[in-house]
Amino acid sequence: MTHHRLVLPVLLAALALGACSRRQPPPPPPATQDDSEARARAEAEARARAEAEARGRAETEARARAEAAARARAVLEEMIFFDFDRFDIRGDARPVMDQKAAILRANAPVQVRIEGHADERGSVEYNLALGMRRATSARDYLVGFGIDGARLQVVSFGEERPLDPASSEAAWARNRRAEFHVTGGGTELTLPPGVQ
Amino acid sequence: VGGSRDGSTAGVRRLALLALLALLGWPAAVRAQQPQDTSRLPPGVQLGLIHHTAYRPRLAVRTFAGPGAEELRGIVQRDLDLSNRFALVETIPQQLATGAVDYRPWNDMGVVYLVTGELSVRAGALSVRLALHDVVYATLRHEASFRIPVPADGGFRMAAHALSDELVRWATGQPGKAATRIAGIRQAGSLHEIVVVDADGENARRVHGSSSILLSPAWSPDGMRIAFSTATPSGWQVQEVDLTTGQVRAVGGVGSSMTITPTYSPDGRKMVFAVWTGSGTEIHEYDLAQRCCLRRLTRSPRNDLSPGFSPDGRWLVFNSDRLGPPHIFVMPAEGGEPRLVSPFVHGTPGYFTSPEWSPSGNNLIAFHGRSRGNFQIMVADHSRPVAPVQQLTSEGENEDPSWAPDGRHLVYSGVRRDGSGLYVIDTVSGRMRPLITGGRMRVPAWSPPLVRAAALLEPNP
Repeated sequence: MTHHRLVLPVLLAALALGACSRRQPPPPPPATQDDSEARARAEAEARARAEAEARGRAETEARARAEAAARARAVLEEMIFFDFDRFDIRGDARPVMDQKAAILRANAPVQVRIEGHADERGSVEYNLALGMRRATSARDYLVGFGIDGARLQVVSFGEERPLDPASSEAAWARNRRAEFHVTGGGTELTLPPGVQ
Repeated sequence: VGGSRDGSTAGVRRLALLALLALLGWPAAVRAQQPQDTSRLPPGVQLGLIHHTAYRPRLAVRTFAGPGAEELRGIVQRDLDLSNRFALVETIPQQLATGAVDYRPWNDMGVVYLVTGELSVRAGALSVRLALHDVVYATLRHEASFRIPVPADGGFRMAAHALSDELVRWATGQPGKAATRIAGIRQAGSLHEIVVVDADGENARRVHGSSSILLSPAWSPDGMRIAFSTATPSGWQVQEVDLTTGQVRAVGGVGSSMTITPTYSPDGRKMVFAVWTGSGTEIHEYDLAQRCCLRRLTRSPRNDLSPGFSPDGRWLVFNSDRLGPPHIFVMPAEGGEPRLVSPFVHGTPGYFTSPEWSPSGNNLIAFHGRSRGNFQIMVADHSRPVAPVQQLTSEGENEDPSWAPDGRHLVYSGVRRDGSGLYVIDTVSGRMRPLITGGRMRVPAWSPPLVRAAALLEPNP
């Protein structure tokens, strides 16, 4: 009797188990398809997310690099100014000249043309020579930091290309200048540490 | 009797003038022309004219006779006026315009020199019989016949100018400057041009144009070519334009990044210019005839440039900032110890540039210098090293003087309240006139004589 009382629950349990095991492993074909699609979708999504993130990171990095390159170029091409009939690098021009040197050191392929200019006062001819001396003293300053002089072309335009054509102290002060133009190797400039 | 009375009157006039000049003495006359307040001029610079009181004899150009007479007389009359050596009689009285020359009425008018001319056409050209009469001594001073092109011909004006120069020579024994041209650089937008204009301001035209900067034109001694410096992609280079063909060629092949401020030697065999040598420019000579043999003439840690020869070819004047600010120096043409010409006072800024030696043998050197804050035309005498430098201009900014072949007139570029352009000043009388104004004309260069009357003399007068 006791035996029968035991058999029924076990049977029921077995039945239940049988029913259970029949529904779960192995999964029926339609259920299997749904599942792999979802997984693939999830994986693709994850991949896309990762790619987007990577792309975002790359874009951010590229933007940062471009910004750094633009900043490096801006510093490289920033003009400096001189006193009347002088060609020595003024104190206020030294910080940017130092930064130019650092950028040139960090970007070996870069070549720069340095243009010397003068204001309209004095001799047209003497101003040509003065412009050359200004361009050369800018180059010599950079060479003093170990930059190869062959990367730095110098040219003078004398008083022929004023920034400001006016005849005033303010215009003359702007016209007595050296301009720096990147002529080669300027596509992927990097900004060395310490230069902002 | 009347003639002799008139003659003696004129003689008295001359004697009185001589006595007056003797009484004053040249130095006194020079002092008399100086303003009292010279305190703000740079040390060693005087305001004034180079020579002395200028006596200008009265001269009349009688109406010429024959074909082309009016055209020729118009040019000659104006040239003689622009020579600044004569006081021109503006209008000739009708009764004196034609007929045989009677000196008495001219003498009564105070005329010292009378010019007469007769023209005729012979074989498609004009035959000009030109005469200079000395009215005071009632004599024919000089007479000759010349063959010149007809007025419609392009060569007419320059030939007429050559006759004007011959009249100046007959009257004064000095060279004229009418048969010359002046070259300058004009900039119109991005176009740079070498423009050449006749000394009377007529006939301006372009002889070379470029999108590159052009500077420092210099005439060859034969007047056939103009050298200049130009900014090429590889740097500043000296080039030469042939005025007959318009062809341009590079000179020197120096291989420096900057070769500027060319000038020809008086014999035309050499060219001298400034070459950048790494830390400054130095004066070099180049053998034009053999197209070789570049040789350095100066050695300087700074800039030597803008050289110019003395007319005998023995000396070079040049600009250098070896003392700090730019100054004018003279040295032997083959190189050697330079001597300072511009006034140098230690501790004063001083700024003197763009020298040019007078071509007439009077040893004057013109340049421009800073005075009272502006740039002005100045002249120093190479043969009188201790004499003060004379400042000739005082209005506006005036730069880059160039001598006429008469050694008396200078052309320079000026920026004044009433305009800007090229101006001509007579260094003796101080008379100034605009040559070509409006637009940006700079760095003028006065040519040598381009036509000489001797070449126009008729073979069988």
